[in-house]
Amino acid sequence: MADSKKPRAPFAPWDRRELPGAFSVEETAARVGQYKWIEMKLFEALGGWVATVPELDIKMRLGTHCYHHAWHADLWHKRLPELREMNPERLTGPASPEVEAFMDAVAEPGEHDQTIEKLVGVYRVLIPHKVAAYTYHLNNTSTITDAPTIRSLKFALQDEMEDWRDGTLMLTSLIQSDEEVQRAADHQAKLEKLLVAAGGICGPGTIGDAYDLSGDPARLTVA
Amino acid sequence: MPTTVDPSTFTMVDFDSAEIAALADELARKVGLGDDVQIVIEVDETTPLGRTELVSLDPVHIRTESGAFENPKRIRQFSEDAATDVLGRYLLRAADRRRDGFGDVPPDSELTVPQRTAWEVSAVGRLARLGYPVRRQRWLYAFRNRYGFTDTADDAFEQLWHGDDLSWAEIDRLSETTAATNPGPLQR
Amino acid sequence: MKKLLTPEELARDDRFERADMMDRIQDPRNGSEAANRGNGRLRPDRADAPDAARALMHGIFVGEIQALEGAGRTCYDFEVGATGKLDDEEVPFELKLDMARQCWDEARHCEISVKLSEWMGTEIGEFGENAFLFQAACNPDPVLRLTGVNRALEGLAIDVFNTMKEFGDLAGDPVLEFCEDWMLADEVTHVKMGSDWLRKLTVNDKDRQKRALEFQRVVDKLFSFGGFRGEDEESPVHLARRFRELAGFDDAEMEEIAELSREAKSEVEERSRLAREANETASA
Ligand SMILES: [Fe+2]
Ligand SMILES: [Fe+2]
Repeated sequence: MADSKKPRAPFAPWDRRELPGAFSVEETAARVGQYKWIEMKLFEALGGWVATVPELDIKMRLGTHCYHHAWHADLWHKRLPELREMNPERLTGPASPEVEAFMDAVAEPGEHDQTIEKLVGVYRVLIPHKVAAYTYHLNNTSTITDAPTIRSLKFALQDEMEDWRDGTLMLTSLIQSDEEVQRAADHQAKLEKLLVAAGGICGPGTIGDAYDLSGDPARLTVA
Repeated sequence: MPTTVDPSTFTMVDFDSAEIAALADELARKVGLGDDVQIVIEVDETTPLGRTELVSLDPVHIRTESGAFENPKRIRQFSEDAATDVLGRYLLRAADRRRDGFGDVPPDSELTVPQRTAWEVSAVGRLARLGYPVRRQRWLYAFRNRYGFTDTADDAFEQLWHGDDLSWAEIDRLSETTAATNPGPLQR
Repeated sequence: MKKLLTPEELARDDRFERADMMDRIQDPRNGSEAANRGNGRLRPDRADAPDAARALMHGIFVGEIQALEGAGRTCYDFEVGATGKLDDEEVPFELKLDMARQCWDEARHCEISVKLSEWMGTEIGEFGENAFLFQAACNPDPVLRLTGVNRALEGLAIDVFNTMKEFGDLAGDPVLEFCEDWMLADEVTHVKMGSDWLRKLTVNDKDRQKRALEFQRVVDKLFSFGGFRGEDEESPVHLARRFRELAGFDDAEMEEIAELSREAKSEVEERSRLAREANETASA
């Protein structure tokens, strides 16, 4: 065995984590508060829908997914005080009235014959946008200073991907006619337009700006 | 035949005596009770319970409570499936008892619950082959409750279910040997 | 989506049929001697045991669906308020998290119930569904709702699962016993949530606590089903005292439920007697 006292590189050759990140503590807290609010609105809607969905398998699945997002909301809730926000309720909210209008529209369908609209809102619009926002955050935050957020993002992303797959399977089984294809597409378009108006689920900059040619946002922040 | 249903008019439940009689006639024919056999179906409509008994063989007299023919989804409404299940089993029991070669059977009152279940499984298996809607798993579950949740019990169930001309001695022997293998309550 | 649904608004597919409570109460057959001939405790040696267990299992299944729906609605019907400054229609964030967790648990219970029903040879929707369990989940006061659902309805679930577990044990049915044992663990957690939230949310509001406990008594009496759940030997379902204790019930509270059940039983007997007299008068 090697000499245990022999000095080693603190960042081993396989550990390429970097110090800089795109977000300050305040910016991270603001995003995390918005995530918490979105996860809350989502689990509330999923829980509320359970009683309004006649399809038994979907009813049960929504009950399961409801908890996933409640757990994410709790992860974000507990992260806020660690980001110097001692009153988590203060930052728990939508990024803008436009984001609030979008989430209201996602939760709006309440009739027994609107399962397609309910699932489209969550699994074709909201969850893909959450995957995008969480992935952007994961890839741009400091891999050293913000490791706790990264850990929660990874847990949440794993659920999002699996729930998205469940939702896609459920929707695929429900959409069986041209008219239903159109219903799903119309509802998706309506919600996507609201999100374009909002600039994303966290407002403008939710996933950065692909047209900004000035370089790596992480490098910019620390420079 | 034809079958007599008592009462001829129901007041507490929404049953039709002609419908019950027609169902019993058809079942009796299919299970092989001869054309000359008189059948009496007596329904106690004052109770929602569902106990049934075979009172006599000549005439074939079946006494039951209204719950036996009731739709489990709709209170006081008749269910053809429920009535077929109950009448089918009791008419087959009567047919077995009247059949030459079935052998000596103790009176119903002296049969044990497991013995009754074994005989019923044999009856329901025959109803299934006659084309009536029966739920095999329901009877397998009932059988396992009496004889144990074991492969041996399941084998005995299969023999009873598929046997067409079993005698009482054969049913009783299967019952006795399978009961001896019942492990009883779980050891936890 | 609207807030505060009624039991009539619960969504079901075509296999399910709603049983009307009034039809059962007004059934003219209720007065007969035979109708009141109790079957006693659910034991495998009863002649009707397999079918009685199947019917009870179907009741558990639809009860689980309603419990899932009730927990889900509690996630949605109330706004989150700041801890320490809650309005009567608001709930703490953590209470909603508990309800979401319960949603997941009840969804699993529905799944377990479907598998158990298959095992026992029962079809989905084979029996009528009574939606009155959900009634407890309709209370617009979250504390009263939590108390009615998590202490009374979930408490009943403990009693019923314990009965079914014992039944599976005696019958030697390893699948039934296994499933009921797991569901019991969850239900104890749910009842404990109810006990804990009742205490926390009413610590400075004794009047509300009194109203909540009164609501629980009403629900507990209703859910005794005229003595179906109780301490008498002929009650098919008994109070699961050991598990209730784990969930925060003390002896006096359990004694009270037993007493409510006795009351419910004598009320049903009295109603039957009156119905019998009315029948006799009518036929005289
Ligand atoms: Fe449950
Ligand atoms: Fe529960």
